[in-house]
Amino acid sequence: MDIKLRNISRNKISKFIAFILVVLLIASSMVQLLYIAYTGINPESIIVKKYKDSKTKFAYEFNYAIQQAYEIISNFPRVPDNIEFLYYIKTDGIETTNSKTYTKEFFSSHKDAFYAYENGTITIGKNTNPSILEWNPYPKFDDLIMYIAFPDDYMQEQQRIWEAGRDKILPLAISITSSLLVSLVLIIYLIAVTGRNPDDDELHFSRFDNVYSEFLILAYIPTIALWCYVMSRLSYYSRYYNTLSLSSTQIYNFIITGLVTAFVTIISGILLLSIVRKIKGKILIKHSLSYKILYTINDFIKSLFDGRRFGVNPLTKTLHKRQVIFIVVSFILVFLTFLFIMVPPFMVIPPILEVVLIYWYVKYNNETYEEINKGFNESLEEQMKSERMKIELITNVSHDLKTPLTSIISYVDLLSKEEDLSETARDYVNILVEKSNRLKNIVSDLFDLAKSTSGDINLDFENIDMKKLIEQTLGDMEDNIVNSGLQIKTYLPDSPLFIRSDGKKLYRVFQNIIDNALKYSLQGTRVFVELEEKDGKAIATIKNISGYEMDFTAEEILQRFNRGDKSRTTDGSGLGLSIAESFTKVCGGKFKIDIDGDMFKVMISFDLV
Amino acid sequence: MEQARILVVDDDKEIANAIDKLLTMEGYEVIKAYNGMEALDALVANNVQLIILDVMMPKLDGLSTTLKIREKKNIPIIILSAKSEDSDKILGLSMGADDYVTKPFNPQELVARVKSQLRRYMYLGDMGNINHSSQIVVGSICLNKDAKELLVDGEPVKLTPTEYKIMELLMTHAGVVFSAEQIYERVWQEPAYSVENTVMVHIRRIREKIEINPKEPKYLKVVWGIGYKIEKY
Repeated sequence: MDIKLRNISRNKISKFIAFILVVLLIASSMVQLLYIAYTGINPESIIVKKYKDSKTKFAYEFNYAIQQAYEIISNFPRVPDNIEFLYYIKTDGIETTNSKTYTKEFFSSHKDAFYAYENGTITIGKNTNPSILEWNPYPKFDDLIMYIAFPDDYMQEQQRIWEAGRDKILPLAISITSSLLVSLVLIIYLIAVTGRNPDDDELHFSRFDNVYSEFLILAYIPTIALWCYVMSRLSYYSRYYNTLSLSSTQIYNFIITGLVTAFVTIISGILLLSIVRKIKGKILIKHSLSYKILYTINDFIKSLFDGRRFGVNPLTKTLHKRQVIFIVVSFILVFLTFLFIMVPPFMVIPPILEVVLIYWYVKYNNETYEEINKGFNESLEEQMKSERMKIELITNVSHDLKTPLTSIISYVDLLSKEEDLSETARDYVNILVEKSNRLKNIVSDLFDLAKSTSGDINLDFENIDMKKLIEQTLGDMEDNIVNSGLQIKTYLPDSPLFIRSDGKKLYRVFQNIIDNALKYSLQGTRVFVELEEKDGKAIATIKNISGYEMDFTAEEILQRFNRGDKSRTTDGSGLGLSIAESFTKVCGGKFKIDIDGDMFKVMISFDLV
Repeated sequence: MEQARILVVDDDKEIANAIDKLLTMEGYEVIKAYNGMEALDALVANNVQLIILDVMMPKLDGLSTTLKIREKKNIPIIILSAKSEDSDKILGLSMGADDYVTKPFNPQELVARVKSQLRRYMYLGDMGNINHSSQIVVGSICLNKDAKELLVDGEPVKLTPTEYKIMELLMTHAGVVFSAEQIYERVWQEPAYSVENTVMVHIRRIREKIEINPKEPKYLKVVWGIGYKIEKY
């Protein structure tokens, strides 16, 4: 259920519909507001039922009446025309009125609209709107009695007009209010779901979000300004077309209002949602142009002065220190140049100082560079020396191991030819023969490996056919293959694949790998030997199913002396794969081992010629 | 049969003694020397038919000694060395040595090589004069086209007709590399298709018949990734 709801709420179509609804509702609200403005009906009538209670209308009118009454006093005996209210004024013993009856009782009987000023004391009718007293800037005379009241028929007429206007705009007001409320709800919904998809909980940015944050926010200014300008121009007409029926200009204005408001709402909505998405993703500030600029400047300044990377070596540290001094002093000199523009004779000083600075900088830097060069050469020489020593060591150790081993093998052979040996002694001699031969193999493999890894190896590069080499190797090893009881499956290309390599070394590589496969494969399984051309490379793959669990990684098996079955009883030196790897590398190829469950896979690749 | 006298030169006395015993058991007379200078002196004093010479020795090393011996004598020299690189072997052979055995060596292999060299030197040495056009000689291998037989150190080797044809092709062009396809087309007289394995298996069988150590062949060599050839000596 939740998921269903989520799917619907996050659906693109629902979001689109909500957005369009917001636009339509806001645009129609604006049109209705403009209509209210054009009718000239006082909007206060929406909340105030009775004309006499209205602040902006009746209270205003009453005050105007009081103001007119004072004008009567000051302009006496001239009386303004079009006076709608009844008055009685007595000052300096002179009485003036427009009412037939001018007793206080008569005036005060107009409870809804009565005002009295009697020698500094103000009283209003029992039901009269007190807000008429809220602004009363009129002078307070001691010797003044003034009664003001609006006649009942006038009040009734005004109340009728007030109610007619109210009946007309109240539905509009309700419609506008509800439209705006619905819009608000929809906007909140859009804010909540923007950037979310039905399929996942990730935040998805739209292409529009690539616009820098400041531009998004700044774009509001022209948008809102455009709207304000258009609306002010259009509402201006209301003063002249204050009639109940609408003129064609007004209808035209409604259309303009609707379109402009819709346009402004769309733009503002897009901007708002983009900003919301950025806030959700916490990138509003980070993804702004000013942030980027500040960040870059900060980074630049940091990189100028941050010398941590160079602190390790005293020479680079000196270089960096000098560089910082150079930058700071140059900056000051540039600043001084600008300062001295006003004092021409001094203007030459900073450039001269700059030249001196450059001279100092280059001179000492060159010295440091020379020192660095010297150190670099020394370390290079040392490295070469140690490399040479390593190679010499291998040669010497090789000789020192092989000479006693030659004696051992020779004398064991002589011993085995002795005829008067006991049965036990013969057994022992046989073990010696076997083990000394194995030692011979290990020593030989060890030196092959040591030589190839130290780089002291003679290579004979030729253009050779990798396909042919694999076929030759398999032919050469046919006896071993037949004896192993395993089947070899070959998948070789029809055409030759020529690579540049040392054939003899590469033969050792394939021999070792196939030998390894034959030794450690599960009985009755097949060994796959494949060769293919791919992306300008010849790739040979040898796959076999191991006869035991391989509880080691591809890296571990290549470590020197690591053996497939961990028990070190069978023959072989355990260096086969290491030699294969090392030889492949010195021959210019790539060697990779892949262990997948019980499958052991070796891949060898060479660039084609 | 005249008993051959062999000079064994090695600065390691135990190794020299072991070789002495080994060869004495085979019925040879052995003289020992422990460095190059002694070896040259011994050569003057004795009539020697073969020399086994270590390379790394004090006073005069094996390679220099070989050069000195070659100034006067043509007797077979087998070099014995701990250096096993191809380049070392080629250097030794080009100095005038007849064979090159790496330490640690298999005693039986050394004996076989000694026998091979002696046989060639003592009994076939004059065969060089009978250089018929029907005979092709490479090192101690001799192919007799008339008799359709192959002699190694003067002794006939049993080859199948196909094996003989392969040897004939390769020996006629000693030093030239032939691909499996070329060999197949010329020997089998059929178009070659996927023949690498067939040819390789034949080569391996021949090697087992003519080489003292088939794993490190002296004559019939595989040029890996290219083809096969008979090494030219």
